[in-house]
Amino acid sequence: MTYLRRLPKFEYVGARSVREVSDLLARRPDETRLLAGGTDLILQMRRREVAPRYLVGLKGVSELAFVRQQEDGGMTMGALTTFQDIETSPLIREKYGILSQTASQIGGVEIRGVATIGGNLMGAQPCSDFPAPLITLGAKVKLVGKDGERLVALEDFFPEYGRTVAAPDEILTEILLPATSKLSGGCYLKFHDRHAMDMTITGAAAFVTLNDDRQTCSELKIALSSSAPVPKRVKKAGAFLQGKKLTEDALEETAALACQEAEPRSSWRARREFRLELIRGLTKRAVRQAWEEVMATANGGRK
Amino acid sequence: MKQLLPISLNVNGDSYDIAIPPWRTLLEVLRENLGLTGTKKSCLEGQCGACTVLLDGKPVNSCLLLAVEAQGKEITTIEGLARDGVLHPLQKAFVEHGAIQCGFCSPGMALAAKALLDRNPNPSEDEVRHAIVGHLCRCTGYFQIIEAIRDAAAEMARKDVQA
Repeated sequence: MTYLRRLPKFEYVGARSVREVSDLLARRPDETRLLAGGTDLILQMRRREVAPRYLVGLKGVSELAFVRQQEDGGMTMGALTTFQDIETSPLIREKYGILSQTASQIGGVEIRGVATIGGNLMGAQPCSDFPAPLITLGAKVKLVGKDGERLVALEDFFPEYGRTVAAPDEILTEILLPATSKLSGGCYLKFHDRHAMDMTITGAAAFVTLNDDRQTCSELKIALSSSAPVPKRVKKAGAFLQGKKLTEDALEETAALACQEAEPRSSWRARREFRLELIRGLTKRAVRQAWEEVMATANGGRK
Repeated sequence: MKQLLPISLNVNGDSYDIAIPPWRTLLEVLRENLGLTGTKKSCLEGQCGACTVLLDGKPVNSCLLLAVEAQGKEITTIEGLARDGVLHPLQKAFVEHGAIQCGFCSPGMALAAKALLDRNPNPSEDEVRHAIVGHLCRCTGYFQIIEAIRDAAAEMARKDVQA
């Protein structure tokens, strides 16, 4: 069996610029795959789930590795930003703590040092951890193709299981995040067996913005991982808390609505019924922790 | 399909010029082309950490990295840890604490620990645990490894004071 664990053959080009990647991709879009961190693609190739004829290495495309504050108070990061960058970037930790929290829950040091945000999104796996928190932040992704570039809301990026709306010649180059209010906070929680190095069985992200009264919810966004064929925003659950205070009953109803909107499947990792229980529990905890973060921030003036 | 790619790798301070097919991983090249078999091959999925090497001081799973993409980086394998026949304090501590039984996870563990101590010379027990979360050991139960890493940190701090 040993020979099977070698990688299938391919031709390799190490790209240096987005333009070069774009040209290479446009030439043979169906036979080419882009290699970022490789923590997913190399495994898929080893298992012979994919065997691209051409591999374009992105590690040398330095223009895609950046984290930048925007003039409007928002932020943008390049597709090659690693999980470790997201975990440790002072800017992200301060303004988008939910993302650093998400990064720190994935894999181990070895994986986080190479795995990239662009790869996590383009992989389009329902168990990927970053789509849910990014959706609650209102993230958009920039796609660059042979006919120019466009922005797509991440919420609309995954039309069905395992797929994105990116055309075969398009590259995801950056992720854009809107500015957040001082009265906002987020939390991403997930359940997995080993508490490290494991696939997410179910995850819940919540991002809440309070009204100026600091007591009622102005807006709540909730999105789930591994709870549907695609990363899923549960809109009714989020809308329910709008204008309300955080009470045990309101939280219970929010979680119940999230369960109604979710479409988890049964797999060898977990049965549908178990996932629904997890969604209920994780949603409640994530909303509560997000809310508590706002209160701590508002009172402590951290932002 | 072009079969052989000339590449240049810097491993433990030595430069190697070789020709390999692009689908060779760094793990395969280290073990099979360079004969550096201290780096272990195990799960090939990034789960076990046995194949860990340092790339510019950062731990990576060499089974998930193409050798062509390791060019221009300083690669450190377990063979590069001892100097002039003298064990690195981490290696010594592993021996003294019984942190090595079958030894299969030890190279990866030691390198992950080195990366941690280079960054954080005085880690808490929790920080040590987090640093080796990507490493499986089926013999020791981990406690001896955690003790060894903390002991090595203390030993290295003592040496720094003396020097």
